[in-house]
Amino acid sequence: MTLSNGVLSRVFLIAVAAVMALPVVATAIDAFAAEWAHTLLPTGYTTEYFMTVVGDPRFIAAMGRSLTVAAAALAIATVLIVPAIVSAHIYWPALDRWFARLVILPYAVPAIVLVVGYLRVFSNPPLQINGTPLVLVLVYVPVCFPMFYISVKNSLRGLAIDDLLNAGRLVGANDAVILRRVVLPCILPGIMIAVVLNFAILFSEFVYAKMLVGGNFETLQLYMYAQRNLSGRITSVIVLIYFILLLLMTLVSLRLAETERAQR
Amino acid sequence: MRMRLLALPLIVAFAVLILWPLSSVVIDSFDAKGEVSFGNYTEVLSSAYYQQSFITTLWISALTTVIGIVFGILLAIALRARGRGVRRFALAFGSMGANFAGVPLAMAIIILFGMNGFFTILVGKLGLPGAFNVYSIIGLTIAYCYFQIALATLLLTPAFDAVPVEIEEAASLMGVSSARFWARIGVPMLARQIVAIAILLFANAMGTFATTFALTGTSVNVVTVAISSLVSGDIFSDPNLANAISLLLLIVLLVPIIASQIIAGEKRLGKDPSAGPQR
Repeated sequence: MTLSNGVLSRVFLIAVAAVMALPVVATAIDAFAAEWAHTLLPTGYTTEYFMTVVGDPRFIAAMGRSLTVAAAALAIATVLIVPAIVSAHIYWPALDRWFARLVILPYAVPAIVLVVGYLRVFSNPPLQINGTPLVLVLVYVPVCFPMFYISVKNSLRGLAIDDLLNAGRLVGANDAVILRRVVLPCILPGIMIAVVLNFAILFSEFVYAKMLVGGNFETLQLYMYAQRNLSGRITSVIVLIYFILLLLMTLVSLRLAETERAQR
Repeated sequence: MRMRLLALPLIVAFAVLILWPLSSVVIDSFDAKGEVSFGNYTEVLSSAYYQQSFITTLWISALTTVIGIVFGILLAIALRARGRGVRRFALAFGSMGANFAGVPLAMAIIILFGMNGFFTILVGKLGLPGAFNVYSIIGLTIAYCYFQIALATLLLTPAFDAVPVEIEEAASLMGVSSARFWARIGVPMLARQIVAIAILLFANAMGTFATTFALTGTSVNVVTVAISSLVSGDIFSDPNLANAISLLLLIVLLVPIIASQIIAGEKRLGKDPSAGPQR
């Protein structure tokens, strides 16, 4: 019996996939169930709950807030992080080594620990921003860093940077121009992948939103949290919609990764 | 070099958004009612409640790390032999699983295992034992396993891909079974990376807050929830105690992470994990 290509491994893969898919499938069934209590499967189906959620102004507002905060944070993050990674990669190897270490920062320093610090430093002047959406936008910037580093660095490794720079200098272009006109277009697919994956991460963010801003600015995750004790159907619909969004973002990132591979 | 200036804004941002809050945590942890002392630490370390929260968190993190790594290794080996399509599907699935944590995961677990849950009813109909209270450490363990297995698979699959197919084939030609090959050669070859990934999984579980809070609120005593209660501004709030607990948690996480980084000799692990950590 061979483990890596036999029947056993196939059955194992299918079994694990089924178990991992179970929470999502159950949620999807529950979202459209008319009556589901004390029976294994629902006795009827309806789109009533789905319509209720999609038409709920509070849901639409929460979605809008999540999108706005994520977009603002990603815009700032892209402008701050991408040039720094490129610069460290080409001109500052010592910094690059530190950046590589920072990739595991989110594991090493849990968000709740940073929350304790943020509650302190952002509650007093000069940066008294706790409770405002601005604090979310700012604290989301470091959250985006690991994905940017992994993705942009991957693109940079595939480039013969020294050759590009030497060729450019030979024809009289300075480094800033070469970076903007030659290197940037080459790493653009990598940047796009990082943006999409970070979007999914920021969309799923709960700790900072709950602890630093709370009810003042209800994001999608806070909306879900607030609805969790209401009718089970409503929460299922919300989770399902969230899952579909996550699926779309993942598919887009895969598509982008495919095009990048094809271009090489 | 002038081009190094491009990195400056990010360095400033990191100083404000990481270094500043962290140093505030460190400094304030030594501030016990206005005096510089170890008072907060002695209070935390001598409190049965906080001792218990560290023990519970360490236990659930270690258990779900082992489960995650075992499944991750088996999945990575099983995926190795599959075609590109299956592999890509599995990695996308894993990346979603790792992101599908927090509030939505807690809700999905309740839909499955709650009082009126699919599983609970199934077990009841069949007359089997196995119904349990989902708002407990058992429910938490199941929820943690979900994202731990997803993350382990994401990180381990690229590591296992690095094992040359040639030695696997050579072993098979010599009559060594696949299971024996992986147990005796493949897994030991990757031991360092597996340990490093296990430490990340452990840290991931230790720092989990959203899933825990959404599933069990404050009823299961884990470290992150204890910290959040201390800063959330109710009657129990004591921010300086929260600083001390946070620092103890950081030490528990940083010691193994730094050790594994040194052991791995700057070898970068997980070049392409398309999921962030659980927060």
